[in-house]
Amino acid sequence: MAAPLNSAEIQPRQVANKSNKKALLDAIRMTLDVQSAAVRHNTQTFNRNRYAATALIGDYDELKDRARLIKENALANLPELLQRLEASVQANGGHFYLAKTAADANQYIRDVLVRHQVKRVVKGKSITSEEIKLNHAIEAAGIAVAETDLAEFILQVADEQPSHIIAPALHYSRERITALFKRKFTTDLPLDTGEELTRFAREKLREQFIAADAGISGANLIAADSGSLMLVESEGNIRMTMTLPPLHIAIAGIEKVVPSRTDFGPFLELLPASGTGQPLTSYVSILHPPLQAPPFVAPGGTGKPREFHLVLIDNGRSRMREDPVLHEALYCIRCSACLNSCANFETVGGHAFGGETYSGGIGGPWEAGTGTLMNARFSELCTACSRCVPQCPVRIDIPWLNENLRQRMNREEPPSAAKAAFGAMTGSAEQDRVAPLQKQFFGNYHSLGKWGTRFAALANASMRLPGARGLMESAFGVDRRRKLPLFPKKTWEQLYHEERGVKPGAIDPGVVMLADVFTNYGAPERGMAAIQVLRAVGLDVALSPVMADGRAAMSQGMMETAQRQARALAPVLKRYLDEGRKIVVLEPSVLAMLRFDFKHLLDDPGTQALLAQNSFEPLEVLWGVAQEMQLNLGQIFSASKCPQGTRLFYHSHCQQKTCNSATQTVEVLRAAGFDVATSSVECCGMAGSFGYKREYYELSMAVGEDLFAQVRRAEAESGPRTLVASGISCHEQLSAGLGREVFHPAELLASTL
Amino acid sequence: MQSLMILESSSVLQFVENAVKAAATVEVIDRSPLTLRDAILREVGNVTRILFAPPQELPIALFSEFLNDARVVADPTPDEMVHSAAGVTEAFAGVASTGSVCIDVSYQRTGMVSLLAPLQIAVVAAETIVPKPRDLFRADMLGGKGLWRDFVFVTGPSATADMGPLVRGVHGPHKLHIIVVR
Repeated sequence: MAAPLNSAEIQPRQVANKSNKKALLDAIRMTLDVQSAAVRHNTQTFNRNRYAATALIGDYDELKDRARLIKENALANLPELLQRLEASVQANGGHFYLAKTAADANQYIRDVLVRHQVKRVVKGKSITSEEIKLNHAIEAAGIAVAETDLAEFILQVADEQPSHIIAPALHYSRERITALFKRKFTTDLPLDTGEELTRFAREKLREQFIAADAGISGANLIAADSGSLMLVESEGNIRMTMTLPPLHIAIAGIEKVVPSRTDFGPFLELLPASGTGQPLTSYVSILHPPLQAPPFVAPGGTGKPREFHLVLIDNGRSRMREDPVLHEALYCIRCSACLNSCANFETVGGHAFGGETYSGGIGGPWEAGTGTLMNARFSELCTACSRCVPQCPVRIDIPWLNENLRQRMNREEPPSAAKAAFGAMTGSAEQDRVAPLQKQFFGNYHSLGKWGTRFAALANASMRLPGARGLMESAFGVDRRRKLPLFPKKTWEQLYHEERGVKPGAIDPGVVMLADVFTNYGAPERGMAAIQVLRAVGLDVALSPVMADGRAAMSQGMMETAQRQARALAPVLKRYLDEGRKIVVLEPSVLAMLRFDFKHLLDDPGTQALLAQNSFEPLEVLWGVAQEMQLNLGQIFSASKCPQGTRLFYHSHCQQKTCNSATQTVEVLRAAGFDVATSSVECCGMAGSFGYKREYYELSMAVGEDLFAQVRRAEAESGPRTLVASGISCHEQLSAGLGREVFHPAELLASTL
Repeated sequence: MQSLMILESSSVLQFVENAVKAAATVEVIDRSPLTLRDAILREVGNVTRILFAPPQELPIALFSEFLNDARVVADPTPDEMVHSAAGVTEAFAGVASTGSVCIDVSYQRTGMVSLLAPLQIAVVAAETIVPKPRDLFRADMLGGKGLWRDFVFVTGPSATADMGPLVRGVHGPHKLHIIVVR
């Protein structure tokens, strides 16, 4: 009987399959309770090291392009590559097997082991073997399997699923490993430090290596031209697995095949840097087995010739290859950069943000592709904050994949008259009206905003009525602990058109500000401040009509609605570009729509490219003008006149960072004379509507805790600071966590005028 | 030592710097049998047995003085293979940007000798140090040797962070010492 691991008494295995929603919610509770500290520490260390390591690759972006191209071509020519690979492996003297399903692969491997009368197998880390549950199949044949990667060893002892793609036991702190080993093993050896635990495991596993008659490894890449494998590791166990026993079986998904050994080059440098953040891991093996060198002969044993089997696994991958969305996931090289740069993942890890095998943002598409769609329910934890996108060495747009999964899951929901009526009333496209009420509520923010502001007094008052929040929670899943923003009496659009006597700016044709729905209905004063600040440097500023941009709908998987909105907005903005104006977008999540997401939504690539190239964050434009015209920003915006003081703590928005539009804000504020401390978290945890949802409130606040702690630390070191953030949801999150007012940078600058 | 370093080419200097960052120890010596013997013996200290895998690229004569040491085992029994304190092999290439050495694992016992003993010593010729890992897969580098060999990039000793803190010395060597011969 295993000891309870947490106050919820939930064992990880019980919640590995997330096809029912309760498992996901239980898993979040369990991980926040017992795993969060270790997961945070380990993923954030990987994340920091990755930034440092990739910065050292001189041609990082070019290398990513090359890697992407290699994978695109390889996947396009996969059937032919597989044939070539088969011929190469056979020419080397090895055996090649292409398994259609997990059961097929397990059967083949079991047969090979039985034919060789294998008693003991040593195994290197292979997530693909987890996918097909290979260990169970081998053990069922009475053959002992020893996982030799120390993380896999821990999981085997604990009987848990992996929580991370490359560091599968990263949810275990040293203390919890000590407790686990003391419970499971009887030993005189001390087990109280990392060194002691490692020595204990090494000695146990050394015996296994010496006695093993077969080794099973995975493969990071496979070259069709030569049958070469590339394997990346640091412990040395994979080298032993592949070179000591006479029989070597390598298993991998068919997507690991690239045309040639020369193609290993870019991946060799990208994979370790993107994963653990090392230039190279301790050992990167490049082999085309069977090896020429003789195998290890155990003391007293007899020598056997080497034999090699390459088992490639389809198990849904051919279907993924044909899928317009999921085929992107096949480019994945399993580096884990998307996990480590994800604020939600950093907080709960793969036992919550993951399924039985795959985890993190890329895990949803993989679970859906190799299992069933509902296995990917945990992909709800992808908030589309986009921080993973620039980190991916093969440029997979992971949020886009998850939003599409969300759409597919929405469509699995039973239709209802209430949902259809609500959708019709609020503006869901017809195909999106089966989506749950909560999703349609958040996805149609533009309608709520329009009605809310039209009847602001009534709407705000009704939210104060007894029972109103309870109703919001039960009908729409809006957590009652969240303070709902009050609707303003006047929208941004109204305030703008009420202005009188504004002279045209000297810089003509200037800019147009997109009247995004979030600012228009949620924070019109910030919009007006931004206009004022841009005018202060001489820009002529126009305001577009208020139009939805697709962000809110897309984040709920309402892709048809999003597409319709994007296609209506694009031509309107295009007309301003034709006038020569640049587009300025206050809300970073909307800026990211124009820069990145419209490429999926518009059917006109020319307009999309124009919009992407000519859209900017307000202070990005201001900084550009100041540089070009050599303006003294300290004279225009003198920080000393700011009623909020000159000492600031600035948190930039996740999507603003991905747009590379964050550093300019800090430059402008500093040039104006402010003393600016900054956050270093990837995302505040609110992520649009995510933190408002009843089921994710605790997770959202736990993510926010990193940011709140950074503010407290900065203030403990250097005294109080005014809170500043660029995103509307970051404002809500900071204000909820610290109980203080939060300002937009433009508001502070405007206050000095 | 400083005047000696000034004589090194920039790729050797970069190699040394990055190998040290990866927790290896490195020394650069002249290409002579006596100097090499002294360097290896200094590093192994008073161990009872030293595994040795003969080189493919460097002349065996370079190891002639070292081979005179009675503790060197060139044809180990299985028991000696798993119970020796040090293993000496050549590396057919080095990588400047990462401080890695490239060890052939298909040639006789080179792979095992470089893997099973706690102390790994790798001898690499200065002129085989290439700028980046990807250069091993170029036909115009090292005569295209990386294009057909079975080899491993070794970057520092074996390591893990799976038990909590970073621990060096897991299944593979606990220490990597690199001798660059000029």
